[in-house]
Amino acid sequence: MSNPPQKELVTGQQWYAPGAEIPDVDQKLYALQNQCTDCNVCEIACSLVHSPEGELNPLLSRIRISHAPSVNSRKATHGFGFISAICHHCGNPPPCAEVCPVDAFYYDPKTNVAVIAQDKCIQCMECVPACPFDVVFVAPDGELLKCDLCGGEPACVEACATRPEMNNAGKQYTRAPVLFHADAKAFRSVMQQKPEKRDEVGMMQAMLERGEISSSA
Amino acid sequence: MMESRLLRVNLTTGEMRAETLPHALFERWVGGSGINNWLMWEHFLEHDIHCDPRSPDNVFVFGVGPLAGTGSGSGVKGRITFKSPSYGIFGDSAAGGKFPYMVRFAGFDHIVVTGRAPRPVYLYICDGNAVLCDASHLWGRSTGETHALLQQELGDYPSHTHTLTIGVSGENLVGMAGVISDASRIHARGGGGCVMGSKNLKAIAVQGSGGIKVHNPQGMLKWSADFRRRIDANEAIYGFKRRGTLGAVEMYQHIGSHFWRNNQGCLFRGDEVRSDNWVRKYHKYSEVCSADCFIACDGRYKLDGSESPKAAKYAGESFRRPEYLTTASAAGALDVRDWAEVAHWGKLTNEYGMDNQDLSCSISFLMELKEKDLISDRDVAELFGRSQRLEWGNMEDIEACIHDMATRSNLFAELFNDGPYWGALRYSQRKGQNFMKYATYGKGGASFTEEMRPFPTWMNNMAVASRGADHLKGIGLIEKFQRRDLSKRYFNGRTEAADLTIPDLKGASTALIENQVALINSYGVCLFHWMLDPAGFAPEEYYQPAFTEVTGIARTPEELMRDGERICNLEKAFNSRLGLRREHDTICERWMYEPTTEGMYPGSVAANMFEPVLDEYYEWRGWDRTTGLQRRDRMEALGLGDVADVLAAEGALARE
Repeated sequence: MSNPPQKELVTGQQWYAPGAEIPDVDQKLYALQNQCTDCNVCEIACSLVHSPEGELNPLLSRIRISHAPSVNSRKATHGFGFISAICHHCGNPPPCAEVCPVDAFYYDPKTNVAVIAQDKCIQCMECVPACPFDVVFVAPDGELLKCDLCGGEPACVEACATRPEMNNAGKQYTRAPVLFHADAKAFRSVMQQKPEKRDEVGMMQAMLERGEISSSA
Repeated sequence: MMESRLLRVNLTTGEMRAETLPHALFERWVGGSGINNWLMWEHFLEHDIHCDPRSPDNVFVFGVGPLAGTGSGSGVKGRITFKSPSYGIFGDSAAGGKFPYMVRFAGFDHIVVTGRAPRPVYLYICDGNAVLCDASHLWGRSTGETHALLQQELGDYPSHTHTLTIGVSGENLVGMAGVISDASRIHARGGGGCVMGSKNLKAIAVQGSGGIKVHNPQGMLKWSADFRRRIDANEAIYGFKRRGTLGAVEMYQHIGSHFWRNNQGCLFRGDEVRSDNWVRKYHKYSEVCSADCFIACDGRYKLDGSESPKAAKYAGESFRRPEYLTTASAAGALDVRDWAEVAHWGKLTNEYGMDNQDLSCSISFLMELKEKDLISDRDVAELFGRSQRLEWGNMEDIEACIHDMATRSNLFAELFNDGPYWGALRYSQRKGQNFMKYATYGKGGASFTEEMRPFPTWMNNMAVASRGADHLKGIGLIEKFQRRDLSKRYFNGRTEAADLTIPDLKGASTALIENQVALINSYGVCLFHWMLDPAGFAPEEYYQPAFTEVTGIARTPEELMRDGERICNLEKAFNSRLGLRREHDTICERWMYEPTTEGMYPGSVAANMFEPVLDEYYEWRGWDRTTGLQRRDRMEALGLGDVADVLAAEGALARE
């Protein structure tokens, strides 16, 4: 690399000079279509880990995932769509960072993710329209919110529970969460996996099998 | 330190005030339904407790608990508390929807509404501010329309709009009217919608962009990660994620616990109404009922008309999946045998905003009278003001009855709007004939569409639940599912609580589980996580760290159980003040004396075990056996000396 990043000794933040080549982010966030149940736990967890005072507020979340019954998706063509507004961690350099007039973006040395340094940010909101995917959000107090992948261990992925496969014809189900922290190839292989074929276990069978309940007097 | 805010709204004067609920209140009442009960208790120290529940003197309390929406993953349940217009006793009811979740972001945990507005209004709350707005354009509209109009009117800034609305039935002061959260989740029991209607309050709409403070966020995240891992690993919960409460259809068919044709039987007929048919043909996607839930047992359907012979009529209809009791009231009580019609029944009762338990039992009572030729076509014409066939499972008939009830347009609605007990009583008086034998009801005249004769704890629940016959106050899951492990754990190694052929430890189970349920309700979370794994997720043990991480209140499991008992005792005290004694803790004649004819336990009657179980319940509660009243010593041990004083002054405390 011709232009080594400038590293802050105290915080470990990496800063690149303008025009410098920035390494790509390998592991990103992905969401499985039509698995989401609209539970908001990812948003809650995101706001909670980013709040030093322990304040929880979905409007401070750096990802937005929701059901939108009026929107079509590839699988559900008559409404019942799914919206996932997740940072794509664009390549070199990310458009949000490129337009920043005060160069408030630094790069996480572990994940290479562009992160907004809130003490440098002047809240001009240039990065909001610059984002091609509309995923730089503005908090109610004006703070700019961009996914920082939580330093490599995203809280949203940790908080997302596993789901049954939706919209399938009966007796098969998979065990996958909605959110993944993976590289594109690994996620594609998850997408292409056939749901595991097995008899669906009803509540009662499962309880009986575990010997938790008995159904005889 | 736990602190939250309360909004007081006096609709008569239009005055609104925000108050701070101090930490001490959470120490004593945990939150949610506990604090709701206390707010109502305080209200009725200043107002006449014997007032007409439809009068401006009644109070409508909304509350949400401290754990709700904190990332715990255990769901969010709002709770409304009021004096019930249909049963005349303590009334409360829980529901999901994103409304309770959003109320917290708007800066309030509790809302107390008193008085009566001079004209229809809705209450709009946004980021700590509240205002009463004209609701004349919403009056007469269904809950779905009202929700959509309010969302359109208030928009998506500073956040999405979420609502609590009443339907046409609430406006017409129908006793069984419920309150609908976010157009699809209903606070059904007790008639909360009637109370809102009597106050001319059509809706509460809320937007919030504030946050919720958590005492120790890292601890909370750690707890919820463990909770999620346990839920994901549990096969029974995994089945529940797909089927939700509908999984109970097969389970109850197996043990004979359905309520068929006004409880003349206890098994569903026909093969269509089964949860696997639902999943295969109707289920479109799963979703949470509220927010912050790792299970997400709710779902959506959209009919294309090809699913079943009757579905064509409802092609294009879309709503949320019927719950088990929606199914039990239609496919059971009314013997509707088609999923599309069951789903339509669920949607219709939601649009009108009515409790489908009381509604189905009122209709099925009349259907049985008609079937047995106890009433003639002329009697039916008198009731409905037209010829009405009253045939089992005839959806057109049933739909007409629902419409009558919601609009309160004929004699049937006048007589039965407070549920089957009051309906049957009024009709018997009118006809000079005793039809009470055919009415199915428990305490307070509330009905319930599940078979309980072979299940002594359930039957005891129906007789003692503070809000009238109900399973959600003291769910008899130790005995219904024969959980020896739970019986051993809670009763010093004894297994009798899991044996449903003997009365031993059944009253004790009710008392124990009522305390646990009171805790869950006061945390503001959903019951199902605990119900699906009652050994793993005990509210006093497993949830205890979560409660501490969120509120900063340190508690041992024993102390939490005492908190639960305190909450139950306040509900009891409220009913005692209204004059309820042992003789009111009862159930209907059919459940008491008419034996079951089918299912796994044929020949069961409640009377076999009713009295010993009730005695044991009072004993474990520390209440007087002969009168059913509370004793001062037990009240003082629970820190309820002030409540005991009020009871003593009104002669509602047991004599020493």
